[in-house]
Amino acid sequence: MFRRILVANRGEIALRVIRTCREMGIEPVAVFSDVDRKALHTRMAYNAVSLGGALPRESYLDMDKVIAAAKSTGCEAIHPGYGFLSENAEFAERVTKEGLVWIGPPPAAIRGMGDKITSRRNMKRANVPVVPGLTDPVADADAALAAAEKIGYPIMLKAAAGGGGKGMRIVRSKNDMASAFRTASGEALSSFRDGSMYMERYLDEPRHIEIQVLFDKHGNGVHFGERECSIQRRHQKLIEEAPSVVITPELRKKMGEIALAAGRAVGYENAGTVEFLYSKGDVFFLEMNTRLQVEHPVTEMVYGVDLVREQLRIAYGEKLGYEQSSIQPRGWAFEVRINAEDPFNNFVPSIGTISNLRAPGGAWVRLDAALYRGMEVSLNYDPMLAKLIVWGPDRMSAIARMRRALQELNVGGVRTGAPAALRVLEDERFQRGEFDTHFLSTLDLSKPSEGEDLIVAAAAAIHRHLLARRKALGTHAASRNAWQARSRARHTQYPPHRPEVAHAKEPQP
Amino acid sequence: MKYYISVNGKEHLVDVVERLGELKVVVDGSPLELDYEEVDNLGQVAVLCDGKSFGLSIEGDEHKLSATIAGHLYAVEIEDERERAAHAAERAQAKGGGLVKAVMPGIVVKLLVKEGDTVTKDQPLLILEAMKMQNEITAPSDGVVKVLHVREREAVSGGAKLVLLTSPT
Repeated sequence: MFRRILVANRGEIALRVIRTCREMGIEPVAVFSDVDRKALHTRMAYNAVSLGGALPRESYLDMDKVIAAAKSTGCEAIHPGYGFLSENAEFAERVTKEGLVWIGPPPAAIRGMGDKITSRRNMKRANVPVVPGLTDPVADADAALAAAEKIGYPIMLKAAAGGGGKGMRIVRSKNDMASAFRTASGEALSSFRDGSMYMERYLDEPRHIEIQVLFDKHGNGVHFGERECSIQRRHQKLIEEAPSVVITPELRKKMGEIALAAGRAVGYENAGTVEFLYSKGDVFFLEMNTRLQVEHPVTEMVYGVDLVREQLRIAYGEKLGYEQSSIQPRGWAFEVRINAEDPFNNFVPSIGTISNLRAPGGAWVRLDAALYRGMEVSLNYDPMLAKLIVWGPDRMSAIARMRRALQELNVGGVRTGAPAALRVLEDERFQRGEFDTHFLSTLDLSKPSEGEDLIVAAAAAIHRHLLARRKALGTHAASRNAWQARSRARHTQYPPHRPEVAHAKEPQP
Repeated sequence: MKYYISVNGKEHLVDVVERLGELKVVVDGSPLELDYEEVDNLGQVAVLCDGKSFGLSIEGDEHKLSATIAGHLYAVEIEDERERAAHAAERAQAKGGGLVKAVMPGIVVKLLVKEGDTVTKDQPLLILEAMKMQNEITAPSDGVVKVLHVREREAVSGGAKLVLLTSPT
């Protein structure tokens, strides 16, 4: 096995990889930007190398710096995590050329699944069912109108080079096509420097279901069943679960085989995820993510597998060593993404300094996070603070456990989406399994919670009363506001502050 | 001390009285036996009330805060009596249209405009002292001062007419 590897990422996923490395006796080397000098992944690694810079492109996205860090510390391989350079075929190629091992799929497989149009073409060739639509992108509104006649409305417009919900539009009728195309294409052009659009039929009651696959370098491939990720807002996943209520053993087998065929069609190796759209019993290939997914822990919980360990074994050249028939799901798992956002205000990002942190505990509760008290949450990086994962013997007990765990969790200093997740888990339709990707938008999240109003009113009055009394007494330490104001001054500065500047801004008591 | 506390938009009146070093609270007229202990100076609070235990997390300032109990978030706004009077004045102005009234009894300390002046929205019209607080009474909208109903040092009762504005021509 590898002796030392570089973890080319930050946040919870860097920590996730570091943890498995530690357990396997591999020395994990972290990289960090100027902003992340004190981050948990920097501290918990065997060694950590400064990439300098603050912006992602000056640090985690800088291929030269990352490769230099790996070589200077004697690493044998690079694990990219997700995001950043993880799906960059050029980077994978360069890593290999430098004599390092790339812990991920071969560059050709990344390219084969790289954009939606290429992957769709490849999948059609491999007889993988795809959503009715165009294989080629369209560049202007007139072409879109003509194509729409063949596909049939409603139609989904998607940026050819897109992701994350940018450059996406649903078009219900002919009259809306021209203007929808212009705005979506404009968005795509500014986000991805490519305004061409991919068109496909928009499916009703769609559910997002994906299959986890593993391929070793010896021609063996297995799948680890499905994850359902239909609870989304603006095409960003909020709650994921495994298995899915709508997938029968037969359908799981069929989807697994399709997913393996999809992987084989591009010569896949290592861990990957094949995403499907499920609509009323039918499944259609969406895309393949050629990396570890954020929501991989729900699969780990249900199948008792450490996917990062499998990634490392495969990259080192080991055989899988087990058959599909030995892979059986057990029980139910949920994951809730804890993002720094305000669910009562349209999920706008929330920034601040983590003032309080209480992690949930208990049996079958897992918290994947890189949070610590005093951490500054800024707009520079992904707003995901933590992932809360639970397991239960069946779906309802897993829901009950997740509700309990969310009630224990307390993240102070920023707003998080946790109350919204709690609202979903309390909803009877969700509990019955009756939901699709539009579910979250049907919930009225504008109203905060009710129930303990009187306790809150009384506590707020006492809180205010004590604050006023302390202010009158002039005790400096009593004022939380000074502390908060200082943190605010700090994290809104970018590039990273100099401490003396922050202190100068501290209000006098 | 009386506090007007809005929890998720619903208002409660909470009276906090310090007696023999202990805090007694009365919520909407009913005394509430409440044991309030701060865990740290970062907003963690342990509350015992009516046979139940609550772990609260409070964040914000003295006017606006959020309280979290068991993962549920409560948005809270707090006013004491004086702030309430001042805010009520502002609110009444916003609604009052052309006629600006005193929403509380007080003394006109200073007039800042005279009849015939053109004023813009939020421009101070006069200063009204109430409950030992000086409050700027501002124009609810753009307009022209048609009638000044009060003079400096005049005591006015709640609801008294102060200024009549007409829409700008």
